[in-house]
Amino acid sequence: MTATLRPAGASAPAGRRRARRRPPAVLAVPATLAAALALLPLGYLAVRALENGPGYAWDVLAAERTVELLARSLGLTATVVTLCLLLGVSLAWLTVRTALPAPRLWTVLATLPLAVPSYVAAFAWVSALPGLAGFTGATLALTLACFPYVYLPTAAALRRVDPAQEEAARSLGLGAWRVFARITLPQLRPAAAGGGLLVALYVLSDFGAVSIMRYETFTRAIHTSYRASFDRTPAAVLSCLLVVLTVLLVVGENRSRGRAGHARTGSGTARPPLRLGLGRWTAPALAWCTAVAAAAVAFPLATLGYWIAVGNSATWEPGRLWDAVQNTVTVAGLGALATVLLALPVGVIAARYRGRTARLLEQAAYAGHALPGITVALALVFFSVRYAYPLYQQLPLLVVAYVVLFLPLAVSATRSAVLQAPPVLEDAARSLGRRPLQVLREVTVPLAAPGVAAGAALTFVVIMKELPATLLLRPTGMDTLATRLWAETTVSAYAAAAPYAAALILVAAVPAYLLGRHRS
Amino acid sequence: MKSEPARRARLRTLAAVAAAAVVLPAAAACGSDNGDGGKDGKGEKNNSLVVYSGRDEALVAPLLKDLEKETGLKVEVRYGDTAELAAQILEEGDRTKAGLFFAQDGGALGALSKEGVLDKLPQKSLDKVDAKYRGGKDDWVGVSGRSRVVIYNTDKVAEKDLPKSVHELTDAKWKGKVGYAPTNASFHAFVTAMRVSEGEKKTRDWLTAFKANSPKVYEKNGAVRDGVDAGEASLGLINHYYWFEKRKEVGEDKLNSKLHFLPGSDPGALVNVAGVGVLKGGQSEAGRKAVDFLLGKDAQTYFAKETSEYPLVAGVTSPVEGLPALNTLGGPDIDLSELDSLEKTLELLKDVGMV
Amino acid sequence: MTDLHISELRKSYDGTPVLDGLDLDVPSGRLVAVLGPSGCGKTTMLRIIAGFLHADAGRVELGGRTVVGPGVHVAPERRGVGIVAQEGALFPHLSVARNVAFGLTGLSRAERAARTAEMLELVGLAGHGERMPHELSGGQQQRVALARALAPRPALVLLDEPFNALDSALRAGVRADVRDALHATGATAVLVTHDQQEALSTADLVAVVRNGRVAQSGTPEEVYRSPVDSWVAAFVGDAVVLPATVAEGRARTCVGTVPVAGGGKGPGSVLLRPEQLRLVDPEAAAVSGVVRDICFYGHDSVVSLDLEGAPGPVEVRHPGPVVVRPGELAGVEVVGEGLLREADRAEDALA
Repeated sequence: MTATLRPAGASAPAGRRRARRRPPAVLAVPATLAAALALLPLGYLAVRALENGPGYAWDVLAAERTVELLARSLGLTATVVTLCLLLGVSLAWLTVRTALPAPRLWTVLATLPLAVPSYVAAFAWVSALPGLAGFTGATLALTLACFPYVYLPTAAALRRVDPAQEEAARSLGLGAWRVFARITLPQLRPAAAGGGLLVALYVLSDFGAVSIMRYETFTRAIHTSYRASFDRTPAAVLSCLLVVLTVLLVVGENRSRGRAGHARTGSGTARPPLRLGLGRWTAPALAWCTAVAAAAVAFPLATLGYWIAVGNSATWEPGRLWDAVQNTVTVAGLGALATVLLALPVGVIAARYRGRTARLLEQAAYAGHALPGITVALALVFFSVRYAYPLYQQLPLLVVAYVVLFLPLAVSATRSAVLQAPPVLEDAARSLGRRPLQVLREVTVPLAAPGVAAGAALTFVVIMKELPATLLLRPTGMDTLATRLWAETTVSAYAAAAPYAAALILVAAVPAYLLGRHRS
Repeated sequence: MKSEPARRARLRTLAAVAAAAVVLPAAAACGSDNGDGGKDGKGEKNNSLVVYSGRDEALVAPLLKDLEKETGLKVEVRYGDTAELAAQILEEGDRTKAGLFFAQDGGALGALSKEGVLDKLPQKSLDKVDAKYRGGKDDWVGVSGRSRVVIYNTDKVAEKDLPKSVHELTDAKWKGKVGYAPTNASFHAFVTAMRVSEGEKKTRDWLTAFKANSPKVYEKNGAVRDGVDAGEASLGLINHYYWFEKRKEVGEDKLNSKLHFLPGSDPGALVNVAGVGVLKGGQSEAGRKAVDFLLGKDAQTYFAKETSEYPLVAGVTSPVEGLPALNTLGGPDIDLSELDSLEKTLELLKDVGMV
Repeated sequence: MTDLHISELRKSYDGTPVLDGLDLDVPSGRLVAVLGPSGCGKTTMLRIIAGFLHADAGRVELGGRTVVGPGVHVAPERRGVGIVAQEGALFPHLSVARNVAFGLTGLSRAERAARTAEMLELVGLAGHGERMPHELSGGQQQRVALARALAPRPALVLLDEPFNALDSALRAGVRADVRDALHATGATAVLVTHDQQEALSTADLVAVVRNGRVAQSGTPEEVYRSPVDSWVAAFVGDAVVLPATVAEGRARTCVGTVPVAGGGKGPGSVLLRPEQLRLVDPEAAAVSGVVRDICFYGHDSVVSLDLEGAPGPVEVRHPGPVVVRPGELAGVEVVGEGLLREADRAEDALA
C-alpha cells in the first residue's frame, strides 16, 4: 500500500540500490577479465569463419542444411527444456511443499542425475533399447541429465516463498491447485527460467548424447565438419550462429527475469513452508518420483553393473583408475576454484548494479556457453600457441578452458546468492568505515558463501564430466576419468570402460549430494 | 602399476596447482617465459618424441613401450580423435608439439601433407610398403590396412542373396535394411574412392539413390556392426576388423552376423590404411626412428594380432583365423593419396543431405 | 560535536524529482526527526547524507566539512556517519560483540573490547556480546544496531525508521533507550520516520518534508501547535478544520466562537486539535450535535459528531470513557485558541 504513494520513479530500497550504475574498479576489472576470457573463443571463430572470405562463410550460413539443423536443434532444445521444467518444478514442489514421505531422500535423488554424464546415460539407454535412437532417445537422455538444473533453483525458491501469501490466497477462496498456479508458480518463474536457460545452453552445446542417439544437430554438424573435412570454416560459421542463439536466449531470459527476482524484502520468512497433505495422491506422487530416479540414476548405474559383470574385456587396473580419480579431482577442483573466483565479481555486479556495463558483463560470461567443447579447445590452442606458448598443454590452460566453458554456472549461482544477502548490510559496513573491496570480503562473500559454494560444487561436477576440451588441452600423458572412459569406449570395450564410468558417477555424486543437502 | 608418463604428469599436476590459481588470469593474455618452453616440442634434442595418436591407447601404448626399449627414445603420447588431433596440429602450425602423427586413416595424413607440415620420409622406409598404401608426396606411410566389407545378419540374409557390389544396395529389396555411419571417416574414404574411381556424377547418383532407399544411420562402425548383429539392419557397411573385434569379445557362437568381402574393383572393397607421418621440426629424426620401428616385423605382427588388421610390410602375414589374404582382396584401383580430396566428398555428402 | 547543514539538495529518478531543493540544519548534539509520508524523499535524503547515493545538486556539510557538493562526493566509509537501518541490519554471520566492534579500526584488541563492552552497556545489553543476532529479540537487535553505529564515535548518526519493525508495546521503550543513548554520547542524529508520534516524542527538532522539500521545521511543540499550513497540520496530528468568519481576533464557527491569534478578517477557516474540543451536557451547551461514532482508546476516546454547518463529522478527543452513545445528542465546547487558516487551504486539508 505504501508503494502506491511513492513517486513513479522511485522503487523499493533494493531497487534504488541497484540503480547505481557504475561498479567500482575492484569489481569491474576482474569481471572484465572474466568476460574477456569468456569472449576469447569468439575472436577465434571470427578469424576462422572469415579466413576463406565472407562469401564462403555466407554460403555455409545460407545453406538449406544450416536452416534444417537450426530447426532440429531448436526443436530438441525446446522439447528438452519443456520436459525439464515439468520434471524439475514438479519434483521441487513435491519434495519441498508436500507431505511426501522421505523428502530428503528424494531431494538427493533429484540432484544425483547431475553426476551422470549425458553420454553415459545415452549409451546405457541406446544399448538397452536400440529403438530409442533419434529424437526420442536424445530427448530422454538430455532431459534426465539436465532436469536438476531446474530442480535445484526451483526448490530453493519454493523454500523462500512466504507461506502467509498462500494462506491469504486460500482464505480468499482459492483451492490448493489454484493457489499453486496463481501465487506460487509466478514466484518460481525467475528461478525456473534461469534453470531452463542453463538446460537450453547445455542441449545446444551437447555432442555426446546426440551423437550416441544419432540425432543430427548443430553441434554434431560442427564436429562432422572438423572430422570429415579438416575444414575449420564451416565449423566456425556454425559456431558463430550458436553464439547468436545463446545471446538471444540469454537476453530473453533476462527480459523475463524483470524485477521480480529482486523483490525480496524483510528478514526472511519466520516460518517453515507449509506442507500439503497428499492424501490419495501419495501413491502416484511416490510412483512419479521413483520413476524419475530409476530412469535417471538407477538405470545407468545398473547398466554399468551389467557391463562389468558380463564383459570378458574387463581388465581391472585399480592403480590406473586411482590415478585417473586423483587427476580428475585435481583438475575439477582447480577448475571449479578458478571459475568461482572469476565468476564472483561478475555475479556481484549482476546482482547489485544496473546499467549497460553490468548487463554486458553478465551476458558476455554466457556467450561461449553453448559452444561445443572442441571449438573452445581449438580457440585456446590457437591463442595459447601464439601468445602463451609455455602454458600450452599445461594444467593452467586446461583450467582456463574450464573457466570459459562453465563460467555461467558459477555466475548464476553467485548472482542469486548475492541477491539473497540484503544490500542494507553492505551499506552498514560502508558507513562503519569499510571500503568496497573490504565490504565484499567481510560481508558480501561470507553471506553469499553457501550459495557460492553450491555454485562451486556444480561447476566441479560439470568439469568432471567434460571431455572434448580435456582431450585436447590436458598435459600430455595425463588421464582423467572422462578421458579414460573415452579411450575405452572408442575400442568399444564397454566392460573396461564401465569401472571408469562408475567411478566418475560415484565421485561426482559427492558434490551432487552436498548440493542437494545444501538447499534443504 | 603406474605408468611413467602418468606419474610424471601427476608431478607436473601438483607443481602446477599453486601456479594455476595465481597466474591464471595473466596466463591467457601474456605468456611469461618460465623456462619450460625449451623442454617440449622443437627445442628438444633427438632422444625425445611426442606422438599424437588417433589410434587407441589400448592398442598403441604397449607398442610404444617396446619402441622406447628398442630405440632409447623417450616417448610421450597424446591420444585423441584422429581428425581433432589433425585440427589441433593445424592450429598449432609450426609450433606444434607433435613429432609423429599416428592417424587412423589416410585422409587426415593427406590433409596435413597438403598443408606442408609433414617431412619427407627416407626411401628405405617407404620401400617396405607397397606404393598403393602410402602418401603420394612421400611424406606418410601406411602401417596397417583394413578392408571395407559388408556385414550381414545371418538370420535375415542368406549367403546366396548377398550383393555383389555396393551398387546393388540402391535396389528396392534393401530398402530400410542397410546400416551405415555417414559421419565416419571410413565411410568418407569409401565415397572418396568411388568418386576417384567412378567419377563425380556416378557417385552422386549412387549416394542419392542410396539415401532414397532409407538406410539406417549410425554414429560409428561399431554401432553399425551391433545394429546388424541385433537385427536392426540386415546389412551394414563397415571395416572388416570391427567384426573380428566383437568376435574376440563375445565369441563367434554368440554372433548373428558374418562378413562379406565384395569382389572385384568395387569401391565397397576399398582397402584403407592407418598410417604415420613425421612432423617438420626438431623431432624429425626421432620420428623417423619410430617409423622404422612401426614398419618392423614385430610391430607389424603385433598390429595384425591385436587389431585383426592387415600387416602392410611385404613378408609379414596375418595370424588371424578366417581372414582372406591381403593380395586376394578386391577394391578400386586408385592411389590412396587421392583420398585426401575429402572436401569434395564432404560437399557431395552435404549436397545429397547425408551429413 | 558536529552540526549538519543541507542546502538546495536535489535528486531525480528517471526525470521524476524526489528531492527538490531540500534545506535542513541540524545543530550539534541534537536529534532531528525528519517526518514525512512515504515517497516524500526522506529516505533518499538519508542515503545521500550517508553517501550511498549521489546527489544531482546541492550541498551537505558535516561539521563545516563539505561531504557533498559540486564535484565533491566523499565515500561513505570516510564520512564518519553511523547508520541504524529499519531492521537493524546486523551481520547475521557475526556475533553481537563482533557486530559492535565492526567499525572499530585502528584500536588495540583491549581497547576494542572495552569500547564494545561500553557500548553494549550503554544500550542495556551488557553480557550479550557472545550471542548471535538471531538469538536476540527485535528490540535488542535494534539496540545492538545503535551500539554498532555509535561505537566508532561517528560525527552523525542516521536512524532510518528504526522502530518500524518493533511491536507497539516495545516501541516506546526502545525509543526512549535510543534517545537516552544518543544524548549520553552527545551525538548529532537524524531520525527518518513517517510516524508523527515517534517524531514528536523522540526528537529535539522536527522537520516535516513534503514533495522533496522541508515544509516546516521547529521544535515538536511549534510544529504541532503552529503548523505552517493545513497539510502539515493534518500530517503531524489529527486536525479539525472548520469554516469560519473572522473578526477582531475571534472566529465564528459551527462549534461556537473561538479566539484566534493574528488579526485576520472576513471568511476563512480555523484549525483545532481534537483535544481542544470537549463534550459537555447538551442541555447546557451552546452547540450540540448527534453522536455518530465512538472510538475508545483507554486513556481517551474519540467521538465523532454531526454538527450543523460543519463540512463533515467533527472529531472530539475526550479524556477517559464517555457516557453518551451513538445516536444521542452531545454538547461541544472549545478550549484554548484556534489557528487561523486562509480559506483556500481548507479544502486540501479535508481532501
